[in-house]
Amino acid sequence: MLVLDQLSRGDKQIRNFSIMILSGLLLLVAVLWHLQIFSSGKYVQRLESQAYRTVREPAVRGSIFDKNGTVLASSRPAYSISLYVKDLSKAGLFNEEYKRLKKMPEYNKLTVSERSRVARFNVASNTIAELSRIVGVNLIIDEERFNRHYLQTRALPLHVMRDVSSEVLARFMESPVRPVGLGIETEAFRQYPLNSVGGHLLGFLVRRQIEEEDIPYSYQMPDYVGRVGVEGVFDKELRGLPGAKSVLVDNTGYRQEENRLIIPVAGQNVYLTIDAQVQKVAERALSEAKADVKGAVVVLDVTNGDILALASAPSYDPNFFIPQITSANWAIYNDENTMPTLCRASYGAYAPGSIFKIVVGLAALESGLDPDKTLYCEGAYQLGRRRIDDTAPAGDYNFRRAFLRSSNAYFISVGLESGVNSLMEMGAKFFLGQKTGIPTMQEVSGFYPNSGFLEARRKRGMPWTSGNTANLCIGQGDITVTPLQMAVMTAAIANGGTIYWPRLVMRLESWDPLNKLPGEVYPSGKVRGNLQVSARNLKLIQDAMLADVEDREGTGSRARINEMRVCGKTGTAEVKQGNRLVRKDTWFVAYAPYESPRYAISVLVESGASGGLTCAPIARKVFQELALIESNQRKAQS
Amino acid sequence: MSEINTELTPRPSKKETSERPLVATVHSEFRFDWLLLAATICLMIIGILSIVSARIGAETDLSWYRSYGFRQGVWYLLGSAMAAGICVLDYKIFCRFSLLAYWVAIAMLVLVLIPHVGSLRFGARRWFDLGLFQFQPSEFAKLAYIFAMAHFLERPKDELRMYNVFLKALGMMALPFLLVLAEPDLGSSLAFVSIGLVMMYMAGVPLRYMKRVAGAGFLLVTLLFVDVVFAPDGWRLPLEDYQRRRLLVYFNQSYVSQDTPPEERKRLEQMQRTDSYNIDQALISVGSGGFKGKGWMQGTQTSLGFLPRPVSHNDFIFSVIAEEGGFLGSTLVVGLYGMIFFAGIRTASQARERLGRLLAVGVVALLFTHVMINIGMNIRLIPVTGIPLPLLSYGGSSVICTLLALGILQNVYLYRKKY
Repeated sequence: MLVLDQLSRGDKQIRNFSIMILSGLLLLVAVLWHLQIFSSGKYVQRLESQAYRTVREPAVRGSIFDKNGTVLASSRPAYSISLYVKDLSKAGLFNEEYKRLKKMPEYNKLTVSERSRVARFNVASNTIAELSRIVGVNLIIDEERFNRHYLQTRALPLHVMRDVSSEVLARFMESPVRPVGLGIETEAFRQYPLNSVGGHLLGFLVRRQIEEEDIPYSYQMPDYVGRVGVEGVFDKELRGLPGAKSVLVDNTGYRQEENRLIIPVAGQNVYLTIDAQVQKVAERALSEAKADVKGAVVVLDVTNGDILALASAPSYDPNFFIPQITSANWAIYNDENTMPTLCRASYGAYAPGSIFKIVVGLAALESGLDPDKTLYCEGAYQLGRRRIDDTAPAGDYNFRRAFLRSSNAYFISVGLESGVNSLMEMGAKFFLGQKTGIPTMQEVSGFYPNSGFLEARRKRGMPWTSGNTANLCIGQGDITVTPLQMAVMTAAIANGGTIYWPRLVMRLESWDPLNKLPGEVYPSGKVRGNLQVSARNLKLIQDAMLADVEDREGTGSRARINEMRVCGKTGTAEVKQGNRLVRKDTWFVAYAPYESPRYAISVLVESGASGGLTCAPIARKVFQELALIESNQRKAQS
Repeated sequence: MSEINTELTPRPSKKETSERPLVATVHSEFRFDWLLLAATICLMIIGILSIVSARIGAETDLSWYRSYGFRQGVWYLLGSAMAAGICVLDYKIFCRFSLLAYWVAIAMLVLVLIPHVGSLRFGARRWFDLGLFQFQPSEFAKLAYIFAMAHFLERPKDELRMYNVFLKALGMMALPFLLVLAEPDLGSSLAFVSIGLVMMYMAGVPLRYMKRVAGAGFLLVTLLFVDVVFAPDGWRLPLEDYQRRRLLVYFNQSYVSQDTPPEERKRLEQMQRTDSYNIDQALISVGSGGFKGKGWMQGTQTSLGFLPRPVSHNDFIFSVIAEEGGFLGSTLVVGLYGMIFFAGIRTASQARERLGRLLAVGVVALLFTHVMINIGMNIRLIPVTGIPLPLLSYGGSSVICTLLALGILQNVYLYRKKY
C-alpha cells in the first residue's frame, strides 16, 4: 500500500518524513472528529441561536355572538403600512447616506457606528416623509423607536401606520411611485360592530404582558387579553392557542425565510343569551331617561333565567381599547364620578327602596297577614321617637292599596308584626346578599341581614332593633341589592316562585377544525331554588303589581303598553351619608305579560325623580320592543 | 551521523529489488503517476463544487462566466496545461535556471513591498495588481525556492557537513522568509522555513545543525507567546498589531488588561468580538456539519453570511466543505491530500538522483505546510494566518502554483530510476 510502503522503507529520512506527514494528517482527523462528532451538538446549538429567531404568533380570537347570531365581537383584518429595513439596506440607501454624511464636516467627529446610525435613521425618516406625501397624513418616526427596532427586532417589519383606513390604503397602493422598503402587513384586530352596545357584558382587551411562557420566544407579535366581561372570563377559550414560527436570519439580522413551527389554533366562539336588539333598546331608553344618566337595566327571560339585556350607563365602547386606549379616553373611562367601566347592573349595590315591599309583603302574607284587613295610616309612621315619612296620604289601606300607593306605614307595621326572622327567611329564599354568578368579573353580592349578622351586632353591643326592621321593611338601611338580583326576584314572582341562575353564556363552540377543545353548552333554566310560598299569596303580589301599573292610583302607570299587561313596582331609595340626603336612587321592577309572564325587567337610575317618573318609561320602551319582536316572530312564522 | 550518510544516496534495498521488476514492467509502459493525477482531479472537482456553494449568497446576479466557480475552472485548466508543459522536459533542464528563478522571485518580493507597485489589501502588500487578476509573487517564490534549494543541496553530502554550506542554505531560506514576513504574510513566510528545513534534513544536513535551528525556532516561538500573552506593555516585541491580536484570539486571551480605561475597554472588547468572529464562525460551520454534513449547497453558515463572504471561498473554504460534507467530507479531503503526499514521497524514494528526490520532498513539504496551516486555522489548531488551501481555495496564483508543483512531482516520477 502507498502509505505503508513509505513507512516501511529502509530509507530513514523518507520513513521519518512519512511519519511526520502521517501524524500531521492524523492530528487533523482527530481534531475534526472532536469538532464534528464529539462536540457537534454544541456548535449546532450555537448555529441555531445565531441564525434562528422564534416568533410567538397569537391565534385569531374567537367571536362573540348574541342569541340570534348577531356579531357582538369579532376579529377583522387590519392593514398596516410597515417599513422593511432590510429592503432599505439592500437598495444601498444606507451606504449612500453614510458616504454623503462622511463628506459633511459636522459628522466628522462621529464614530463609524454613530454615523451609520444617523445614516440609517435619515434614510428611514426620508422614506416615512415620502409616505406622508403619498397618503396625505403627517407622519413622523420616533428616532429611539427606530433604533430600538433596528437593534432588537430587525427581522420583523416595523409598523409605521397601523390599522390604516381604506382611503389611505388605496392611496398607498395606487401611488405610481412607491418608496423602497414599504409594504403592507395584515393583523387581526378586535372589533365590536355594535360599538358600545353590550360593552359592559363584553368587557375589553388590553395588551398582553410578557409572561413566563414567552421566554423561549425571541419576539412577540401583538397579543391581547380580556380584562373584564365575557372577554375576560372566557379569555382562555376565546384566545385559542398561539402558534410559533421560526425566522431564519442572516448575519446582518434580516429575515431570510420563515417556517411555521406551530400552527395557531383559533379560539372558540362564545354565544350569549343576549338579544342585541333588546340590549340596544334598553341602553337607548336608559340613556334617554335624563341627562348624564347613571343607571342600569336588566331584562330576563322569566321562564329560564336567560339574560336578554344587561345595560349600564354611562357606557363605554370597547373598540377604543384597540389597539391601545388613548390617555384621554382612559381618563374619561376612569372618571371617579361617572365610572363608565363599572357595570352598574351587577357591580353596583343599591338600597332597593319600595320595590323591596314585594319581599316584605310576601313574607307578611306567608306569616298570616290578612290582605283584606284594612289599616288606618296617618301618612307617616311613628316608631318611638322616630317619624318615618310616607309618600302615601293618610287613610285606610288594605294590602292591595298599600302596595300600589306604596304605603310605608302599612308595610312597616305588617313587617314588624311578622318579625325580622321571617323577613330574613324570605330574603334568603330570593338569595339576596349572594352573587348570581354572572360571568363578567364585575359582580357584588349586595348585603342582606342574616342570623349571623344579627348575632354579630348583638355581640358588638349594637343589637338589631325594631327601628332596623322598620328600615328594612321599606328597603332601606342594612340592605343593598344589584339590579340583576332585583330582576331575578321579579322573575321568580312572575314565574310562580322559581329562582333561576341567570344565564349569560349559552355555549362555546369552535369553528376551527384544529381546535380540539370540546365546545361547552351551558344548559338553560338551571334552577337555583324555589320560594315555596302559597300560590294564593304569590297571586296577591302579582295582582298588586298589575294594579301598580294599571290602576288609576298606581305609581307605575307610565309602564303601561297596549300589547301586554305589565305588572310592576316602583321604588325610591334615599342614599344618606350620616343624616344628609345625598341622592335618591329610583327603581322600577316589572314583568309582562300578566297572563303568561315571559319577561322581567329591573331598572335603576341614580338620582332619578321617582321610580314611576324616571324608571317606568324605560321599562315601557323595552316592553314595547319585546312585544314588537314577538309580533315580528309571529309574522315570520305565519 | 554515519548511518544517515550511508542512506543518503538512494539505493534500492533488497526488498525493493525483489519486488520492483513486476511493478516496473507495468510502470515502464504507464510511467505516469495515475494515483497522483486521480487525487488531483478529485480535489479540483471538490474545489469547484465548494466554491460554487461558498458563493451562493454573494453572486446571485453575476453572469455565469464571471462566477468564481467558472473562473476557478479556468485557473484549473490553465494550471493543468502548464503542469503538462512542465512534464515535457526533464526536471534537470529546469534546474539549470533555478538560481535565476530564485533571484527573480526575490526581486519580485522586494518590488511588491514598494508602495504603489504592490497593491495593499487587508493591510498587507502581497499582490501585484495586473488589472485582470491579482498576482501573488510569494506563491511563485515558493516554487523557485524549492528548485533553488534542491539545486543547492544536491551537492555531495560531504560538502553539506561544512558549516558554511549550511549557513548558506540558511541564508537562502532566510531571505524570502524575511521578505514575505515584511509584507506581512506570516503563513507563507513560515512555509519557506518548513520547506527549507525538510529539504535540508532530506539532503543530509547533519542533525546537530538542524537541532540548533529547531531550538532557536522553538525559543523564538516561546518568546513570542510569552511576549504576547504575559509581557507588560513596555516589553513587547515590535509585532504588527493585527498579528498580536490574532495570537491573542488564538490563545483565547482577552484584549483588555486590568489597567485599561473603561472607554478603551469597550472599544477593545468590540474589536475582540470582531477579530474572533471569523474563527468562531468557522468553528460553528465545521462543528455543525456533524458526521454526514448538511449536503451540497445546504450550508447555512455561508448562505446566510455568518461565515464572512470575503473569506469563505478562499482561506475558509475548508469550513464550507466541512459544514456541507461533515466529517465524511472533511476526512475525504484530508485523505486526498494524504494520497498526494504519499505519492510524492514515493516519487522521492524512487527518484533518479538526489535532485529529483529533493524536488519531490520540497513539493510535498510545500503542500503539507499549506494544508496543515490552512485546515489547522479552520479548526482552531493554529492561529489565523492568511494562507490558501492548495487546489481548493479560490485564487489564480495559488491554483497555478499548486498545479505546477504537482507537475514537478509528475516530472520527477516520469524520469525516475529505470529498473
